[in-house]
Amino acid sequence: MEQVQEKQRKEEFDASEIEYVSYGGEHHLPLIMNLVDQELSEPYSIFTYRYFVYLWPQLSFMAFHKGKCVGTVVCKMGDHRDSKFRGYIAMLVVIKPYRGRGIATELVTRSIQVMMESGCEEVTLEAEVTNEGALALYGRLGFIRAKRLFRYYLNGVDAFRLKLLFPQPEMADRDDTQNHDDHSPREEYSELHRHL
Amino acid sequence: MDWKSTEQASMERHAPNHSSSSSIPATENTVWADASPLLDTVCKELRDGELIHGDNFNLYAAMSALEIMDPKMDSGIINKYASVDEAIEDGLAPVPISIDKTVDVQCIIDIIDHLLACEATWHKGHSLAQTVFSCAYLVRPERTLSHALLDSYCKVIRATCKAVTTIVSDARTHEEEDLFTMSYGLPLNVEGDEKCLSLLNAVEENISRQLRACKAPLSKRKPLEDIEPLQTNFDLEEGYCKALLCRLRFRKHFCHVLSCMRRPQGRGLELARKHIASCISELGSILNSAEFLMFNAYGTCEDGTEDRTTASGRQAIGFDANLNSRISAPTPPRSIKILSWKKAIKYFENLLHHLDIICSYPLDPSLDALLRFVAQFQKAQPDLVARVHLQLLLVQDGKLYGRYPVLAVIIRAARLTEVIMRHDILKNEYFVQLGQIVINMLKILCTNAAWQRRKLGKILQDWRAIYSQLELAFRKESGEGSSISNGENASAGILKHILIWVEEQTYWIAHRFLVLGFELELYSPSEYCMVYWYLSVVLIRLAEKKHLKMTVSDGSAKQKGKKRKDSPKDLAREARIPPAISFLQCQICLAEGLALLLAALRNELIVLQSPSPFNSEHERFLQHFELLQKACIPDLISYPSFKESTSYARISSVVMYNYFKDAQKIAKEVKSSFLNDPDRSAELRILEQVAEHNSVALNVISRVGALDPSLKVSFEFIHHPYFATVVVKRS
Repeated sequence: MEQVQEKQRKEEFDASEIEYVSYGGEHHLPLIMNLVDQELSEPYSIFTYRYFVYLWPQLSFMAFHKGKCVGTVVCKMGDHRDSKFRGYIAMLVVIKPYRGRGIATELVTRSIQVMMESGCEEVTLEAEVTNEGALALYGRLGFIRAKRLFRYYLNGVDAFRLKLLFPQPEMADRDDTQNHDDHSPREEYSELHRHL
Repeated sequence: MDWKSTEQASMERHAPNHSSSSSIPATENTVWADASPLLDTVCKELRDGELIHGDNFNLYAAMSALEIMDPKMDSGIINKYASVDEAIEDGLAPVPISIDKTVDVQCIIDIIDHLLACEATWHKGHSLAQTVFSCAYLVRPERTLSHALLDSYCKVIRATCKAVTTIVSDARTHEEEDLFTMSYGLPLNVEGDEKCLSLLNAVEENISRQLRACKAPLSKRKPLEDIEPLQTNFDLEEGYCKALLCRLRFRKHFCHVLSCMRRPQGRGLELARKHIASCISELGSILNSAEFLMFNAYGTCEDGTEDRTTASGRQAIGFDANLNSRISAPTPPRSIKILSWKKAIKYFENLLHHLDIICSYPLDPSLDALLRFVAQFQKAQPDLVARVHLQLLLVQDGKLYGRYPVLAVIIRAARLTEVIMRHDILKNEYFVQLGQIVINMLKILCTNAAWQRRKLGKILQDWRAIYSQLELAFRKESGEGSSISNGENASAGILKHILIWVEEQTYWIAHRFLVLGFELELYSPSEYCMVYWYLSVVLIRLAEKKHLKMTVSDGSAKQKGKKRKDSPKDLAREARIPPAISFLQCQICLAEGLALLLAALRNELIVLQSPSPFNSEHERFLQHFELLQKACIPDLISYPSFKESTSYARISSVVMYNYFKDAQKIAKEVKSSFLNDPDRSAELRILEQVAEHNSVALNVISRVGALDPSLKVSFEFIHHPYFATVVVKRS
């Protein structure tokens, strides 16, 4: 899905003024939807948002500045095809005046922390190869570019599948089968994704 | 038409029939009940955010059921036309386009040009339905029958699209490009299309006569030969005739290129080259016609917008991007941008150039030469249509080029003589499997880099598995009697050769997997060290196996059987290292040099290290090399070995054992052996360049001191696609 991170004209604020809040209920949903609708070019139905925040409310976070919602991250986690317990970052948005100040990093970090504590083995997402901001952000957090997906987006741009592997207690015994994404680039969301 | 009136018109056309009564009569098996009151109550009681969901309709299903902006699924989407027929009724594609023959000709040329732009856009990865078949003239073949030029051209376009779709389907490795072959609901099999070339020829001949007629001086014109001119303005006759002729001829020759290249066993390649040359020549004429066409459109020769999809700059008549959105197979709802006319021509020039390279390949039965050719071909990042043609040439009927049985190719590659072909052991199941694995590898090597790399990583397991099987067989064969030393055990000898070759091939695939990661930008600079380290380890094994293959003679008693435990650097001291091995040694030195330099910088400066809150370099190592590790390529290599090899690296030691200088030296020495190989000569020159630059950079770093704050070191791919050049800047 989509990630946005660009450096543009900035709002003046101190990092301590940003309040990070976990998804708390229906009253947060319109805030998230407005942010994502405003900043990202893809149309998502309300069911898409509900799918994420209802089933995994503990993985979605919002950033507030003086009562205004300025950023959000929306994620999920679950058993993947080869029974790997995996987190997925679906949407990440910070409005333009607030970018470049680490808010996105903080949002993502909180979500990944919860994933780790919930027993996820890895975290994954897709990002456009041209999205330098997102690639730098996730790179700093320890994600690698696991694969390049040719013409993943409908406008013809390639994507990287980014993956973060948490340290495992017993590396030698892990029976990794990397089959899951290789038969087709169609993750659960790719079907959704390709039409967005 | 503004949105409101479009909507109204659309609604009027599709107004539901309100006049039917609300009660539907019951039948034997059904009783209808009005659920409106129930729904009303439920709606009043449901609060914001509450959902009704059934056992089989969870949130995931609810989300996936909605397809926004796809008119087949999203009934709210307003399209200008609900169907092709409606569009035609509305006058989208008039036949003839104009009663004024000059305007008619102009418009047809615009249609031809826009179709070329659409075709190139399709090749570049968009759907046929949204590109070429956005032309209403193509979609209703019966309408154009009265207009010879338009009709024959439409037929040729449909026939070409069908041919190309078939070729791509046959190759079956277009996974990520699967939009390409979707043609459900599109008229690709129209009766009569197979006659397109003869119809086109007739039209071409006619226009040629018209051209001759307008060029002949009045005095020489005989009344009997008077034919009706193409269009009504005499001054423009020559220009329009020529503009049309080059377009028709390009189409004709392009059809021939496709059919020649499809002839089995590469029999049509030489003729294909002639047609390719004609295509390129006609494309030149097409480009040149732009001046004339633009002048007559606007009265000027200015370039106009770069985005224009026709030579004249006018918009072509008869196209609607959403023409097929309601009827065809999944068409992405987003509208797409058609390539500009100039870019389309560039695309076809590029495609023809790549097809020409394929056609000029001498169909060498040497697998080594073929692999080098394919790797070289892929460097230019050719598009799908070109790659598919390469694949279909390489693998036909399970044979190389349809000519050489794959087993014979393997035998030759393993440096066994053809005599071996008669040996019984080759009938074994694992040799059949080996053949299939090789064919699979060849197909994969023809795909786009991203997909190719993933598949290469996967097949490493297959190569490892077949190696194990062959090794078991070898042990069995050599266990029966102790006849290896006197060369009587031919089976064991054959297996031994094959085993060495399989290992060499496995390491070659592993090395390709690693270096493609650079081309695909999968490695961040903080990961270069481990990648170059792993690459050097793989290249060392590759060189070992290759050298072993070359020195183990042909299954005879004179088998040396020396296990090369020496590193390739030691081997360099022996006389007469085969040039191919030296080539690899040069690369090994570069890889080692880069790995150690990066390690030294990291150790001394703690730069390029990215302390991540969630994991360490160990996890990233495991992820990048997972597929190699799983296939034990190589054995006993792990993250601890990487740390061991690099944790003591210092700039001073790197300078002492200057790998870059060694690489330079080897490159210089081996240059003369590759004089007849332009590709490898070119690469050697570049490797030498990189080695030289890096050697100098290393000395600067050493002299200034790695800790000097004014020093800025970066690793850039300015000379070679995967061996970085060390760039040192002083601020």
